[in-house]
Amino acid sequence: MKYVAIIRQVPDGESKIKVDGGRVSLEGATMILDQMDEYAVEEIIRLKETGGGEAVVVAFGPERTEEAMRTALAMGADRGILITAEGYVDPVTQAGALAKILAEEAPDVVFTGGQQADWDSQALGPAVAEALGWPSVTWTTAFELEDGHARATHDLDEGAEVVRVALPAVFTTQQGLNEPRYPTLPGIMKAKKKEIKKIDAAELGVSGSKVEILEQQIMELERKQKVIDGTKEPAAAAAELIKLLHEEAKVL
Amino acid sequence: MILVVMDHDGNELRKGALEGVSRARKLAESLGGEVAGLVVGPGAEGVAEKAKDYVSKVYVVSGPDWETYTAEKWAKAAHAAAEAAGAKVVVAPASRTGRSWTARLAVKMDAALLEDTLDSWAEEGKVYATKYSFLNRVLEKQAGTLPAVISVKPNTTPLAEPAGAGAVEPLAVELGELEQKVEVLEKIAETGGKVSLTEAEVVVTGGRGMGSAEAFKLVEELADLLGGAVGSTRAVIDAGWRPYSEQVGQTGKTVQPNIYFALAVSGAVQHQAGMNKSKVVVAVNKDPDAPIFKESDYGVVGDVHQVLPAMIEEVKKLKGA
Ligand SMILES: Cc1cc2nc3c(=O)[nH]c(=O)nc-3n(C[C@H](O)[C@H](O)[C@H](O)COP(=O)(O)OP(=O)(O)OC[C@H]3O[C@@H](n4cnc5c(N)ncnc54)[C@H](O)[C@@H]3O)c2cc1C
Ligand SMILES: Nc1ncnc2c1ncn2[C@@H]1O[C@H](COP(=O)(O)O)[C@@H](O)[C@H]1O
Repeated sequence: MKYVAIIRQVPDGESKIKVDGGRVSLEGATMILDQMDEYAVEEIIRLKETGGGEAVVVAFGPERTEEAMRTALAMGADRGILITAEGYVDPVTQAGALAKILAEEAPDVVFTGGQQADWDSQALGPAVAEALGWPSVTWTTAFELEDGHARATHDLDEGAEVVRVALPAVFTTQQGLNEPRYPTLPGIMKAKKKEIKKIDAAELGVSGSKVEILEQQIMELERKQKVIDGTKEPAAAAAELIKLLHEEAKVL
Repeated sequence: MILVVMDHDGNELRKGALEGVSRARKLAESLGGEVAGLVVGPGAEGVAEKAKDYVSKVYVVSGPDWETYTAEKWAKAAHAAAEAAGAKVVVAPASRTGRSWTARLAVKMDAALLEDTLDSWAEEGKVYATKYSFLNRVLEKQAGTLPAVISVKPNTTPLAEPAGAGAVEPLAVELGELEQKVEVLEKIAETGGKVSLTEAEVVVTGGRGMGSAEAFKLVEELADLLGGAVGSTRAVIDAGWRPYSEQVGQTGKTVQPNIYFALAVSGAVQHQAGMNKSKVVVAVNKDPDAPIFKESDYGVVGDVHQVLPAMIEEVKKLKGA
């Protein structure tokens, strides 16, 4: 069987966001393999380890995405395919190009992150599935193969459900699916030699984006940061807090 | 024509349906044409009688094939209704399920997808929207070409008022091979609280520093006193102290209450992504350097096991007065 993880490179959520000229600037930001995609990479490696076959990582993004792809290869994926395009390209357009590669690769199972840590988008997985005419399951917390099908548990708006899905299919990840491993030093060394095939998005018919980002601004709210010391007299601190919430903030 | 896919619970329209109607009307002002609706699934016929007061025409997709939700089926129904209506724009709720089928619909329509939008409008044949990005820390403005699919972030938009009776039209949609590839085997009900977390005006969240599942009795007590909902951090879910349905954050729920209590919560960025738009944030943490204090309006440095019981007493006094 062949397993694919679609990954992306995003800024580490721990690093501060900067805006320059009305656009987010990634200059100086630490760029990482999206943590939601780590679950996807971990899952395809586990599937390969238990059942054999091949674990392939595929991405659509700028050249720098190769770094995140090397991380996935260091975790244990076999090879990578990177569709390169600089600048913002919307997930629906990306899905069209990714589907062309996946149709050729013909994997049995595809995983990708449930939500992207940069665009806060949940669309890529289901959009790729639609472009291929395959089913999709979002927010997967448990996954198992059974006779040409997959059995998966996934989160809904309220509660969860268990589904049986005919393969090939696309699954998006949720916390709880697995615990992603850290790349080991030998893994990192090996990853340097693994193949990453690069394809220009234009060769796959991508010309521009249906969605354009016009303007971005930081939306972190100013907080009052009034802190009361309650280490010595917790009851007095609690009384002062509730008084402030009642009289000053007027929320109680 | 604009199509709005109207969410319901089998009996009543959900708030998201009426938010969608408001958005669709605003788009129609600029793009022209009327607003049509679609109701899908169990109870759709009955709900259509209510939905028709808001739109010029309601399409109804129902029957045995439509008893359970899958993204493939909902995308197909919405596509069929959009074609029947001649709609260039489809508006739908940005619930978890909504965001999965709208992505599929956008591919079917070869449309621009504007996801989880706070506001949306049209100008000169283009659609525009605002949304949050970068783990809820950035506000961005997007432009999309037509056709377009727009999902509406819950609790962002005024609910539409009824506008007179429209027509109801059943729409026959046959399932193809693709729509039969996912079989729902089992539903796992949510062990949710009395107050809906995402709609609560008060949220009381306990973190790993609460120390045990038992300690959450006090978190529940404060939430009950204030008519609020209980929230949890990822660490608490991992420890098995609380159900996943209570998780607030990037991979949990997004809340925007009037007042958010973060009790023994460190304030990791993934947690903040779910609560950083709260009006007033209150933190209790024994570590004065916990990141949550930078994200709070009011804070108490201290042991939650001492401060929380005292807070509960003070609230009781306040409520009794
Ligand atoms: C991809 C990804 C997605 C994630 N999504 C989410 C998400 O949706 N939601 C989420 O919450 N997390 C999420 N996380 C996890 C997140 O990074 C943090 O690990 C988590 O939020 C920590 O939870 P916590 O604050 O309860 O625990 P901790 O970080 O352990 O903090 C406990 C706090 O309690 C304080 N404390 C301890 N004892 C006491 C006491 N007696 N009195 C007062 N204070 C005390 C400590 O000082 C500390 O600040 C995600 C992580 C990843 C990688
Ligand atoms: N890469 C990761 N993959 C999965 N879960 C993670 C990851 N990083 C952190 N977590 C979760 O966040 C919690 C805190 O982890 P840490 O960031 O290592 O302190 C843990 O309980 C994990 O469940």
